[in-house]
Amino acid sequence: MTRKQKRLAIIGGCVGFLVLAAFLVMFAFSQAIAYFYVPSDLAKADVPPGTRIRLGGVVEAGSVNRGDGKTVTFTVTDTLSGVPVTYTGILPDLFREGQGVVTEGTFVAGSSVFVADSVLAKHDETYMPKDVADRLKAQGVELSGKETIK
Amino acid sequence: MIIELGHYALVLALATAVIQAALPILGARLNDRGLMELASSAAVACFLLVAFAFAVLTFAYVTSDFSVRNVWENSHSLKPLIYKISGVWGNHEGSMLLWLLILTFFSALVAAFGRNLPETLTANVLAVQAWIAMAFALFILLTSNPFARLVPAPGEGKDLNPILQDVGLAIHPPLLYLGYVGFSVCFSFAVAALIEGRIDAAWARWVRPWTLAAWTFLTAGISMGSYWAYYELGWGGWWFWDPVENASFMPWLAGTALLHSALVMEKREALKIWTVLLAIMTFSLSLLGTFLVRSGVLTSVHAFATDPTRGIFILAILVFFIGGAFALFAFRASHLKAGGIFAPISREGALVFNNLILTTATATVLTGTLYPLVLEALTGDKISVGPPFFNMTFGLLMLPLLFAVPFGPLLAWKRGDLAGVSQRLFAAVAIGLLCGTAYYYFMNGGPVLALFGIALGVYLIVGSLTDLALRSGLGKVAGNVAWRRFSGLPRSAFGTALAHIGLGITLVGVVAVTAFETETVVEMKPGMTVDAGGYSLRFDGMRNGSGPNYTEESGHFTISRGGVTLSEVWSSKRLYQARRMPTTEAGIRTFGLSQLYVSLGDQINEGGIVVRIWWKPMILCIWGGTLFMMAGGFVSLSDRRLRVGAPAKAKRPKSVPVGAAE
Amino acid sequence: MLFWILVATLTAAVAAVLILPLLRAGEAPSSPHSHDIEVYRDQLEELKRDQDSGLIGGDDAELARAEVARRLLAAGESDGETAPAAAPRRGVSRLAQAFVLLCLPAVGLCLYLLTGSPGLPAQPLAARLADPNGDINILIAKAENHLAVNPNDGAGWDLLAPIYMRNGRVEEAVDAYDRAIRLLGPTPARLGGYAEALVVQSDGVVTNKAQDALKQALSLDPNDPRSEFYLALGLKQEGKKEEALTAFNRLVATSPADAPWLPLVKQHVAELAGPGAASAAAPGNPSADDVAAAQSMSAGDRQEMIRGMVDSLESRLKENPDNLEGWARLIRSHVVLDQRDKALAALREGLKIFPADGDGGKQLLALARELGIATDGVTQ
Repeated sequence: MTRKQKRLAIIGGCVGFLVLAAFLVMFAFSQAIAYFYVPSDLAKADVPPGTRIRLGGVVEAGSVNRGDGKTVTFTVTDTLSGVPVTYTGILPDLFREGQGVVTEGTFVAGSSVFVADSVLAKHDETYMPKDVADRLKAQGVELSGKETIK
Repeated sequence: MIIELGHYALVLALATAVIQAALPILGARLNDRGLMELASSAAVACFLLVAFAFAVLTFAYVTSDFSVRNVWENSHSLKPLIYKISGVWGNHEGSMLLWLLILTFFSALVAAFGRNLPETLTANVLAVQAWIAMAFALFILLTSNPFARLVPAPGEGKDLNPILQDVGLAIHPPLLYLGYVGFSVCFSFAVAALIEGRIDAAWARWVRPWTLAAWTFLTAGISMGSYWAYYELGWGGWWFWDPVENASFMPWLAGTALLHSALVMEKREALKIWTVLLAIMTFSLSLLGTFLVRSGVLTSVHAFATDPTRGIFILAILVFFIGGAFALFAFRASHLKAGGIFAPISREGALVFNNLILTTATATVLTGTLYPLVLEALTGDKISVGPPFFNMTFGLLMLPLLFAVPFGPLLAWKRGDLAGVSQRLFAAVAIGLLCGTAYYYFMNGGPVLALFGIALGVYLIVGSLTDLALRSGLGKVAGNVAWRRFSGLPRSAFGTALAHIGLGITLVGVVAVTAFETETVVEMKPGMTVDAGGYSLRFDGMRNGSGPNYTEESGHFTISRGGVTLSEVWSSKRLYQARRMPTTEAGIRTFGLSQLYVSLGDQINEGGIVVRIWWKPMILCIWGGTLFMMAGGFVSLSDRRLRVGAPAKAKRPKSVPVGAAE
Repeated sequence: MLFWILVATLTAAVAAVLILPLLRAGEAPSSPHSHDIEVYRDQLEELKRDQDSGLIGGDDAELARAEVARRLLAAGESDGETAPAAAPRRGVSRLAQAFVLLCLPAVGLCLYLLTGSPGLPAQPLAARLADPNGDINILIAKAENHLAVNPNDGAGWDLLAPIYMRNGRVEEAVDAYDRAIRLLGPTPARLGGYAEALVVQSDGVVTNKAQDALKQALSLDPNDPRSEFYLALGLKQEGKKEEALTAFNRLVATSPADAPWLPLVKQHVAELAGPGAASAAAPGNPSADDVAAAQSMSAGDRQEMIRGMVDSLESRLKENPDNLEGWARLIRSHVVLDQRDKALAALREGLKIFPADGDGGKQLLALARELGIATDGVTQ
């Protein structure tokens, strides 16, 4: 191989690889990302069953029902509307009624219950997930700091 | 008064940095020795001043001086001494001061060891370091001053977040910063080379140890953070692809690439321009990481600073340094002479392959981390890019690299013999497949992909050992000769092998845990038994207890196998009083390299409780592998070749023209 | 003074360290290529070692050696070409020295005076505990430390509760009163204090919980003026004008003629009895005067307490200005303390955060008008 050919081979290989990687990323974006919603978005946006989404909001006071122990049901609300959620597993330490929470999972076909496979709360007792706070604000719901902190 | 003196020392450090940033560059231009030598004195002085300021802040923490706002906000007089000290960097202001301390420490090291470097290079490098120090000192003083005072002083502090009161987290940030900030030296070398418009052989030799040191510390920091998250958060996970984790992982990937490209550059004088670019990119990613974490733009479980002015200030620093460096690069890169040529199949070719994949992988992680932010800014849509995305892109991209790793050291420079190398690695492939199959059967089946994953890991380990064996001529020459050759191998060869073995071990751990982990969530009453990973756990009951600043409820479990009682484990939920904050203290028992992980959920009626039990096969391999990588880093760092590259004083008259020596 | 001497010494020391290399200036630097030559020499040696130990074959070694040797030669040649260094320039060195001497004190002092608190002594906790010397926070901390160990010391809580109140730590005061009552039993003073803390906590509204405590206090001492006043105020807030008027009138009758709270009580009586009563006191919207006047009913320096509250509120707002209620309370408190200029200043500050044309700003302006602060010109 001449000098030029060597260089071309290397550069060609690199470009080919990069194109491949770009396609992979595009594909992954179409498959593996979850949109974030608060309950009142769901009325407007029609989320097909089986699509992974994140659902955020506040755990409605008095809605937590620990059923047979492992499976917990509760309602995530943005004060305008609420969505019933079921979750099997151990809730995070900071999961509390009246506190912000983000759940991830899917809607099951033919049911309005959101089946979550992960529930997130933050390392901080004064936590309101940023997504939730922003969205709730956008919905015109002001959360007074007092209630959420105390 | 001592507090204010510390504060003044910090301001004076900024003033010193201003001088260090301005005069040495001028000196390099004018070829004026005095101005260039000023850089070294200034760097040392600057470090001492910042160190004094840091010591004063630590003193304030240790003595619980609540007239310092930062101490009041993050400390408590009853906290154990070690957490008083670690509290210094357990908050935004203090951690930025630590950042600056490490930055100036590296500058001082360059000044101390830089006597061997060409004077103009030292001067320029230290000047660039001073630009960074200046920016961060200004940031600290104007937006996050740890020496702000409170009058009158409160009587008691607000305490540190209990989740941060942990030995692992006490040393995680300093290690991480040693890594992050260590790359600043590579960055400064790159920018200095661009300013001078030339790179010589000594340059590559000098960049490599810094890269190696930074990379080793960053490895340690990331590994420590991952282990902390694993045992402290009680979720049983060891890597979440959380943006903050990605923020530290991206410089690590780029740094790994830099480590390898600097090798090509030193040995073969090729890839010069690319190495410079990579050095700039690596530190840019470090800065980006600092920005992402400190500005609070992320929805992350880690970001403890959420202050827009700070965010904008760091963004300005980011734009200035990254933009400036890339502009300089665009302007000056053509001045750098291109180096040697090589065949695609060669050691250089293998290292280019390594760089290609590592940088592409970095780019996908960057895309996945920033895409949600960009999308939200553009359309307002909020999305989350989670593990599925990263596993699909990053995981797939890394596969060919992992397979290629053992080939690199076996290929010759310039022109390699792929067929010959493949032949030599045949044994490694065979052993790998054998181990994979054996483990697969041992685990009674599972995903077939896991078989190949384990095989790949073992192949990496054996392949790296193959390199050492071939180099010492094992099997070809007599045993004692082979031993002599083996012990005579350069340390860097051992370093390479150790790091690659570590990679293999980590891979084995990751694959085993991902494929064979079992998770059981069950409601247990005292006396009930649950099976996990071949062991039986019996729940014996709950107990209430209390520690110095918390109360806890602990569950007691007895572990047995085949009817024989082996061990016991306590798992607890704590409530920290000062902040009324609950935490989970998972119960972890180790069996060989595997672990049983028990965490408690909510209590239900009649003494029952929800329990989550994981069996984590081979999980310790994940962090064990990183220990090997670190060992590899340190061993390479001790290689004598990295310490030379300097003209001895006595030889100078020979190489310096007579006219100049007057 | 000692502080400034130390500052000067530190600055001078750093300046000396920086200027020293400049004074030695003159010697020209060595050629950069000499470093390259050394690297190449070392590579040759390494090659030799590798060959000796059999790590590299003879042919390969020869090729590599030739390559390194070529580079070595090239470096040696360009070494000769290096231009002789310029003669040392005295002028440049002088300028540099001047820059150092100017920059250090100028940057140092300017920035320090901007951000620092010169001369403020360090205050290690141990020293403060040993010699509290009127440091109220330390006395509180001492008491807190004691109570953390002995949470059943009712007398301690009883002592601490009013101090908390005076320092504006209302929530802790509520808790301390609560504990003192539980541990030592109710007295009119404790119950009254508890109710008062509750009232302040809920921004002046006499809540049901507070009313219960007040009623209990009155059952123990039917002539406790503070309790009587707050109960009356509660009635007024609920819109029960008749009953409130009766209660206030009774308070006037039982109070000594020179009692400091009488004017305010009489004002309430006038409001309730007068024709414009309804608008002056809308339910649930008590004026801060009420709280202030009531506070003059029990012993202790009530003004001082409000001042403490105002100070703490101010500092909290400085830290976290996004708090409409806080600004409203601050303005009101300044009016209570009869510091109308400060109230006006607080209004201006608050309007910076909540613009006058927004909802928050409008509320602040309305409040100011209600309190009789001239709002002309504040919005510019």
